[in-house]
Amino acid sequence: MSASLQKGINVLKEQVDSTVASFFSSCVNCGMCAEACLFYTETGDPKRTPINKTEPLRRIWKSDYTLLGRIGKMFGLTKSVDEQLLTDWESLVYDSCSMCGRCTMVCPVGNDIALMIRKTREGMAAAGHAPEGLIGATKRAVTIGSPMGVKLPALMAQISHVEKDTGLKIPVDVEGAEYMVLLSSMEIMNFPEFIDAVARIFNKAGVSWTISTEAFEATNSGIQIGVSDIAKILVQRVVDAAEKLKVKTVISPECGHAYMAIRWEGPNLVGKKFNFKVRHILEVLDEFRKDGRLKITGKETQKLTYHDPCQIARRGGVIEQPRNLIGMFSDNFVEMPDNGKMNWCCGAGGGVSSNERADEIRLKVFQRKKDQLDEIKPEAIVSACSNCRIHLEEGLEEYNMDIPLLSLTETLAEHLADD
Amino acid sequence: MSRISNDAEFKQALHNLSPVQQRIVAASFVEHILPLSKDNRLKNITKIALDKDASDDELASALKSAKAATFDSHTRCGSEGNWTDQAGYFVARAIMAALTPLSQSKAGGPAWQAAMHSRIAQTSSLIDSGDVAPTDNQWQYDILSNYLNAK
Amino acid sequence: MSEIEFLNWVRGPGFQIATIIFIAGVMIRIFEIFMLGRKANLAEAKGSEMASGLRTIVSRSLPDAGTFKRSGFVIVAGYIFHIGLFVTIFLYAPHILLIKDVIGIGWPALPSAMVDAFAVISIVALLALLARRYTDKVRKTLTTFEDLLVWFVTIAPLVTGYIAFHRIGLSGPMLLGVHILSVELLMVVFPFTKLMHAFTLFMARWYTGAISGYRGVES
Repeated sequence: MSASLQKGINVLKEQVDSTVASFFSSCVNCGMCAEACLFYTETGDPKRTPINKTEPLRRIWKSDYTLLGRIGKMFGLTKSVDEQLLTDWESLVYDSCSMCGRCTMVCPVGNDIALMIRKTREGMAAAGHAPEGLIGATKRAVTIGSPMGVKLPALMAQISHVEKDTGLKIPVDVEGAEYMVLLSSMEIMNFPEFIDAVARIFNKAGVSWTISTEAFEATNSGIQIGVSDIAKILVQRVVDAAEKLKVKTVISPECGHAYMAIRWEGPNLVGKKFNFKVRHILEVLDEFRKDGRLKITGKETQKLTYHDPCQIARRGGVIEQPRNLIGMFSDNFVEMPDNGKMNWCCGAGGGVSSNERADEIRLKVFQRKKDQLDEIKPEAIVSACSNCRIHLEEGLEEYNMDIPLLSLTETLAEHLADD
Repeated sequence: MSRISNDAEFKQALHNLSPVQQRIVAASFVEHILPLSKDNRLKNITKIALDKDASDDELASALKSAKAATFDSHTRCGSEGNWTDQAGYFVARAIMAALTPLSQSKAGGPAWQAAMHSRIAQTSSLIDSGDVAPTDNQWQYDILSNYLNAK
Repeated sequence: MSEIEFLNWVRGPGFQIATIIFIAGVMIRIFEIFMLGRKANLAEAKGSEMASGLRTIVSRSLPDAGTFKRSGFVIVAGYIFHIGLFVTIFLYAPHILLIKDVIGIGWPALPSAMVDAFAVISIVALLALLARRYTDKVRKTLTTFEDLLVWFVTIAPLVTGYIAFHRIGLSGPMLLGVHILSVELLMVVFPFTKLMHAFTLFMARWYTGAISGYRGVES
């Protein structure tokens, strides 16, 4: 057995805790998870059934953690994890899954299948079976500080542009600020108007905030590829910066997995509780709304709907806040069929969009979102994740649908009242 | 007509233009920075945007091409970003903004949006070379002033 | 072995052996899970783990409308045979008497004709589900030998019970003996298969509810 395969197997073993064991023990192979997963419903490929994606982990659980399995292993009767299995499962675990967690919501015996897939990725990555795009992104995240290679001077260039545009100073490395804002490379490179929006809103809200030059990246490629050690390094940078600047709250921007990484996995990765709060930008904006710090004027008249980014809504718990905020600038809002915690994934999260090999399937499964939209025929879609946004735009273009995508934060900023 | 020399005047003057005028001025900004993009489609798209007699169909088709150009040139999440190429993305976004109808345009109107994206395009093109001093926007003020004076 | 000897054996030693294997097996399997433990969650909680976990144990039995539309067959057929099993095991007079003998408590029974009807409906549901396992792509991909074995040991008591009740084919004692043997087979196979879900689903649902509730999402 090769060293990397052995490493993968060892890592898979470490993933089995009481939750995983209870999940595999309870699975009755009913297949309901398939019908909740857009990678199955839009392709009809039964191998993409969510619980099937966890087969490498299941084999380890069976052979090493069950009574019958342990006995069977002694006689060589259990199914083992080998190179062929991992090779065959790569495209299932990485290309056909965004860890959106819809399967978790419908499993009748209560299995958190998305979590099981997250854990399966740990083993696959350790054995060298992660997609190239993600490996590159992760390397860049560790060595450069950004999965897309965004260096500090580039950020400063965007910042000075925003300063000129807004006439506001962007506070950088300000000690004692209440909020430390993280940004995703996607935003810095493709949607720098987000920084613009944050500056204007926070200025009007009258709160102190800052960006840290030592930890400005929100995206955590370690989570996407499934290597907790790397995810830990990336989180630690943020923790160090937040502690150095003595901020009260770290803000995760409009990026899905960034929130999961820093808000929910973060303290568990670094092994200790944070002494600062972590909030998604939408949570903070909703707090501003409640405190009366947001003066909004004018309404969007077009019929709006909201796409719930999976890691923020279903897996993150930020479901009501965007709706409260949209209510500030829209009287013409319609929910998607299956909304909130049951909304359908856009199809691009969890590393899928970073993986060129997954391009075809990613655009194919957009059909599910298209069907949702066809039912309500909105004139614009609001969302709060740059990755969802660019993928939805691409999907809409591919299917000849003329529906603009709006960032919630940017739209709020556009409606700020001049006082 | 005095020359425009700051953003406040610039934004106000743009705001006062008619939709067709905004499109043409916006397209003029893009024309200036076209060399920053390697996408040949943008030349043609800009030409259509500059044409005050362009038909609705031509404009719609040009907008569609501009959108496609932005998808093709954006940096994929997690891939290695190249700011020189990214400048091309912002040029595409600028012409896309120029062609977006006023009702669907973001704050400030199509011409202001195009101006902003053009500025980011310039900044982007300089990042890789390490020169990140904020660029001078006088060229945009001049384009607008010249347009207004020629009317 | 004569019929009576067979019947006495399954009622006596057979039942004892099956019970020991069943109880010991289930306890070992549950212990196996608990002893693995899980790390404490250090993130700032948005909701209560315990309350959410308990809630999900109950709420997971009720699918949402969208899910029901897509997975209706599995849900309905599944419920039919689960409810059928519950009725035929726990609401049938002879079974209640047996339980009363063992643990000292009994309760009112349903009329036997009704229990009979439940048995038939459950058998039909199980047959339909088996057919589905082989005609539907997803089920076909997931189905293993274990699924087949479990299906068999689950339907066997229902079928043999029905046959014993209606006295078809063999003599009374023989039919009863076979029925009891089929139950013992189920008990012996139980701890080594997915039948454990009857116990472990409480843990799985709790864990998922707890994880989700921690993040402020009702699941």
